[in-house]
Amino acid sequence: MITTASAAIGLARRLEEESAGFYQALSKHYPEHAATLAAFASDNRKNVQQIERAYYGVISDALEGCFAFNLDEAAWEIDFSHSSGQSVAQALARAMELEVKIIDFYTLAAQQSKGLMADVPRAFLAIARRHEDRLTKIQRLVGG
Amino acid sequence: MAILREPISEPTAVRNYIGGEWVESSGERRDIVNPATGQVIGSVPISTASEFDSAVAAAKDAFWEWRTTPPVTRARYLHKLRALLEENFEELSRVQTQEHGKTIDESRGETRRGIENVEVACGIPTLQMGYNLEDIASGIDEYVIRQPLGVFGIIGPFNFPFMIPLWSAPYAVATGNCVVIKPSSEVPLSQMKIAELVDEAGFPPGVWNVVNGGREVVASMVEHPGIAGVTFVGSTPTAKYIYESCGKSGKRCIAQAGAKNFIIVMQDCNVEKTVPAMMTSFFGNAGQRCLSGANMVVVGDDAFYSDFVDRIVTAARRIVVGYGLDESVQMGPVRDRDKKARIVRYIESGLEEGAKLLLDGRVPQVRGDLPHTCFLGPTIFENVDPQMRIAKEEIFGPVMSIIRARNLDAAIDMANASTFGNGNAIFTSNGAAAREFRYRAVSGNVGINIGIVAPMAFFPFSGMKDSFFGILHTQGQEAVRFFTESKVVIERWL
Repeated sequence: MITTASAAIGLARRLEEESAGFYQALSKHYPEHAATLAAFASDNRKNVQQIERAYYGVISDALEGCFAFNLDEAAWEIDFSHSSGQSVAQALARAMELEVKIIDFYTLAAQQSKGLMADVPRAFLAIARRHEDRLTKIQRLVGG
Repeated sequence: MAILREPISEPTAVRNYIGGEWVESSGERRDIVNPATGQVIGSVPISTASEFDSAVAAAKDAFWEWRTTPPVTRARYLHKLRALLEENFEELSRVQTQEHGKTIDESRGETRRGIENVEVACGIPTLQMGYNLEDIASGIDEYVIRQPLGVFGIIGPFNFPFMIPLWSAPYAVATGNCVVIKPSSEVPLSQMKIAELVDEAGFPPGVWNVVNGGREVVASMVEHPGIAGVTFVGSTPTAKYIYESCGKSGKRCIAQAGAKNFIIVMQDCNVEKTVPAMMTSFFGNAGQRCLSGANMVVVGDDAFYSDFVDRIVTAARRIVVGYGLDESVQMGPVRDRDKKARIVRYIESGLEEGAKLLLDGRVPQVRGDLPHTCFLGPTIFENVDPQMRIAKEEIFGPVMSIIRARNLDAAIDMANASTFGNGNAIFTSNGAAAREFRYRAVSGNVGINIGIVAPMAFFPFSGMKDSFFGILHTQGQEAVRFFTESKVVIERWL
């Protein structure tokens, strides 16, 4: 179980970095959506910065940094690999699955740390909303 | 789970920082031991009185030029230091974990709190302003100027090696004084790292000095005619000694001392959020904080009491104990084997006096292949009487004593009967109960649904009774007043 803020932030960082790698790979394979997918990867990196800024900005011994979370680490072992043989529709469908999973992570993490870590749950919720927006964009790509 | 890299990979020989130079001490050296791994990570000199004298002399030499440096310029040195501390945030935090044993979250929290004090001191051009009144009589004006006093001594404790000297030092130098810091000889590496950054920031030589050592340096500091004042954080007996000694030698003094904090839990509290707050209050930093919860006073009926205590014991039992650089660890070791032995003696005294042990931390499960020399697990007693030693004396370890009170009045009376008054708190959703507690609590720092009542840098770190000796406090505006003399000018032009 992940219980400490340090470990939870580390997990968020890993999810964003692996997600960035996934979209970077997609942007190379599907030139018709390259700009959008590369922008997603860039946004992933901004998300890491936002999370770290929130955490390092408010972490304090007055808050429950070591007792703020209760996350099952195994539940967030997500496979971000991309198979080059996939059609664009298959790849985007996979992207939507991943986005739903990431949104779930941030929503749960925000809920668990609400009231405990001040700016951190707020940052988590903001990033969850950003991934929701991304999900909508991917749905449009699939539809378009 | 990731084990973070250790920044100190080879033993470091700590030196004194005097007059802008790194100086070897002629005193004996003692090992600095990582309490989690048992590894020797460095050595610290036990400096002599004459070495302390040379630091005071360097500080006195630097004083006039520094105090005549415009406050806005002095602030720029602090801005530079703040930037360097931010750049090195992670390394500074990990050093704390290596030398002290606390978890990485706790170390980062300490780093943040330390930097916040530098940030506040950066506002010195505003903070140091005096005040004035025109025409106290026709054509006569009166004003107050805040002037620095000279050289201040700062004595740091072992439990917050990075942060606590920064409750004082940035304000002292920002107001135009020079400082000589004596870190705890158990954990001197954090202050050495800060001094390296002070050096890099380009502070004039002699403004910021560090002399490592023990009692001899402390005794020299409180008696030295070249020292204008002293700030201290540590145990109550030592705080009394320092306060008395400073009084005798005519020095200003802030002496922050021990504690025995009462956390009152009312039946109407938000249980889900109160339980983790109790974990961090009682077991965070392995209970080695002057703001740690010590006595949990529960006000509620039998059903609430047993359910709440069950939750507390269950949560405490799950706490992962181990090396603080393992990100999964929630509680590190206590600082050394002597402190562990002292805590164990208190646990034994609780048993001898008839308290019921709900959770025994004397033989903890420790994550990883580590020597058990300094580790303890969370310990919880119930049926504790306020007259027992475990309820009255400062244990400074991860030990919770549960006491029941029939109502809020009785709980407040119990807390106020303590000889200490540092950081008491209440957990309730009832505004009237919270207000009553805030109003009547004889405690320098008061928490409402906050388990660790650590004031931010722009507020004073208060304390009452045997928890504090002095008038003004460290941090914020009060620190600025402590480090300056108010000069009153009455002026007319004839």
